[in-house]
Amino acid sequence: MLRHLLKLIWKRKSRNMMLSLEILLAFLVVFAIAAFAVRNYQLYQMPIGFAWRDQWSVSIRAAQEIPNDAAMYDTLKRSLLDLPEVDKVAFTSFAPYEMSRWTGKYSLPDGSKLMQLDALAVTDDFFAAMDMAPAEGRWFSTADDAADAAPVVINRRLADKLFPGKSAIGQVYISAEDKDKPQRYRVSAVVEHFRSHGEYMDPVEFMLPRFIPGVGKDPAMTILLKLKPGTPRTFESKLNARLKQLHGEWSYVIVPLSEGRKSMLTLQMVPLMLMSVIAAFLLVMVAFGLFGVLWQNTTQRIPEIGLRRALGADAGSIYRQIVVEQLLLSTGAIAVAMVLLVQLPLTGVFGESLSWPVFLASAALSAGVIYLLSLLCSLYPGWRAARLSPTQALHYE
Amino acid sequence: MFRNYLLTAWKVFMRRKLFTAINLLCIVLTLVVLMVVTALLQNTFSPTGVEGKSERFVQMLMMQSSHTNKGGMRNGTLGYKLIDKYLKPMQGVEAVSATSFPQSVSVYQSDQVSDVLIRHTDAEYWKILDFKLISGRLFNADDVAQGRMVAVLNQSTARKLFPGKAYLDQKFSAGGQMFSVIGVVEDELHVNAFADMWVPVTTQPSSDYKNAMFGGYTAMILAHKAEDLPAIKQDIIRIAKTVVYDDPTRFNVTRIWGDSKLELFARTLLNSRTEDSGAAKLVASIVVLMLLFMTLPALNLINLNVGRIMERSSEIGVRKAFGATSRQLVAQLVLENVLLCLAGGVLGLACAAGVLWWLEGSGLIPYLKVHLNLAVFGYGLLITLVFGVLSGVIPAWKMSRLDPVHALKGNA
Repeated sequence: MLRHLLKLIWKRKSRNMMLSLEILLAFLVVFAIAAFAVRNYQLYQMPIGFAWRDQWSVSIRAAQEIPNDAAMYDTLKRSLLDLPEVDKVAFTSFAPYEMSRWTGKYSLPDGSKLMQLDALAVTDDFFAAMDMAPAEGRWFSTADDAADAAPVVINRRLADKLFPGKSAIGQVYISAEDKDKPQRYRVSAVVEHFRSHGEYMDPVEFMLPRFIPGVGKDPAMTILLKLKPGTPRTFESKLNARLKQLHGEWSYVIVPLSEGRKSMLTLQMVPLMLMSVIAAFLLVMVAFGLFGVLWQNTTQRIPEIGLRRALGADAGSIYRQIVVEQLLLSTGAIAVAMVLLVQLPLTGVFGESLSWPVFLASAALSAGVIYLLSLLCSLYPGWRAARLSPTQALHYE
Repeated sequence: MFRNYLLTAWKVFMRRKLFTAINLLCIVLTLVVLMVVTALLQNTFSPTGVEGKSERFVQMLMMQSSHTNKGGMRNGTLGYKLIDKYLKPMQGVEAVSATSFPQSVSVYQSDQVSDVLIRHTDAEYWKILDFKLISGRLFNADDVAQGRMVAVLNQSTARKLFPGKAYLDQKFSAGGQMFSVIGVVEDELHVNAFADMWVPVTTQPSSDYKNAMFGGYTAMILAHKAEDLPAIKQDIIRIAKTVVYDDPTRFNVTRIWGDSKLELFARTLLNSRTEDSGAAKLVASIVVLMLLFMTLPALNLINLNVGRIMERSSEIGVRKAFGATSRQLVAQLVLENVLLCLAGGVLGLACAAGVLWWLEGSGLIPYLKVHLNLAVFGYGLLITLVFGVLSGVIPAWKMSRLDPVHALKGNA
């Protein structure tokens, strides 16, 4: 039966080739979106490494550059902790769930393993404020004040890359930006995950070096607060009033992390939404086209169908023939597309973004969509062909 | 002859109504997507309305500073001093404006906090951009010189801040400074016009911006006529050579370029740091992307057309037997397809207008206003024609090669 159908398809190869090409293209489009969606779902399932429900961020906007002054940070922290709603206060260079990121080049002290790392300078209280837990080691604190190298917390991914096969705690690496007097970093703790942009961020090598108020040139421009659970949003004006009392010359952008998270997630979904809308348009079009072509095909083949009916084939088997032929055609197109697509994970051009699980899931998903589409489009033409009585069909002109 | 073609086409279309409808629907769907994209692009790069003078002005967003003998390079936005000292004295131009980028500032009212985007501008800003004033007035050179605490709001912001009240002369606190509303303008989206609130550049708490070579400002230069622009662009490059930094041992070379809207976009996107902004490259890649997008619908249409033309094999056989050349047949069939595409184009244009109207109303993109004009219609027509020829040629060519003997029997 199958061999016979294949022979029939082959007989009409030039027309079927164009049809297959169209299905192939449609499959590629669906696959691209499926892969994007599956990858995002996978990322969404991964932990981000910090809490966001009771955390607020305050970005300081100043007309002039503010000095990195230890006393100023101390006063800020004290007077914010005086507010009954505030639980913890920390300072960072930028807040999580923000578009900003800071990267630099780092390597081992002997210059090997040069790599680009994401970094976020944080004060000692950051980890408590963000409800983080170390996987290994201990958080840095004032006990590290006299250390010979700057203490740093790194994520597991970076630890595995820099110090494979051994514990990263106590190991040293250096900044590769300044050749003469490179800054040295000593790992004091390792965290399992840290993704500053939140749920949809690709995992990257991340380091959280210690920010010490008053040391270094660049000030920390973001205050991170952990509030008592259940603090209402109206606390914002009270907080702003307190901040204005301290430094009236600055302006402040206060964002609860839950809000920042919401807008970040929406923002990151925009490309997927746009692609899906355009793909939906294309698929509707392909469906119409497929339907039209199949309808035309069955009309043309009415004499052939009549002959089959006259020779004793029942309506069901005609119906089956039309549908199965279409599905076989789609299978052929999908197979060709898969041969092309499988090169992507094999060569690893997209790295982790298109790993084997993502590839297989999205291939299955898109094949499902295409099969469903072909099935839906062949149902009506098939039914129309099967309905014809042999006498009608044989006389059809 | 031509009339005959048209009549045949009409007859063919009406014979299979469902098929024609499907065909038309596919064309309309494709063209709607393409036309909406074209309208948005056209609106971005050569807008009417607030930035309607865009063919007469150039703007600067980024500057690059370096030193001839030392390494190190600084890429960043322009400082007020650079614009004030070097660009404002330019000869032969109508106006030069320095404007800060929109910055978010909190407006505190008794019971609510609102986040608004504020721009610090000079008076020339209002000359270069054609804002539609709803009430009150815009601030003038005198307000700027005196540093009066006045603000112009856009309509949405005025409505948000003072619901149900007269907007003019309202006092409010933005970022800790008290401003009073002197004017309300219509909402605008464009690169240079986008903001919620405008205040004179001199109202900033500190006057440090006057001495800053770097940071936070963008310049627009309006020419008397569009033909002056190439000369002005050269002038800007010449002026860049005369810029002296506060610390000449750190930087002594400046690169700035006057760009049209398209060039500015291309420069930002492609990170170009030469006189050529890469606009040609950008346009080429947009066209290629559009063609790529068209392949699937075109293939779809080819498949549909092949079916339709095959049905007419006996007709084509007769025409061939009476001496019609392949070229004539191809011309006829392509013409039929183009006709269908044109019908689809008209429908598509109507639908695209509907989609754009919905897009503006939905608030998906704040302050979006797209004007469907003759240019968009022209581009739409062009896209339609390309699409029609693209999807008509292959089936027509295939059909015209048919052997008349087989074609006459109708079993191609």
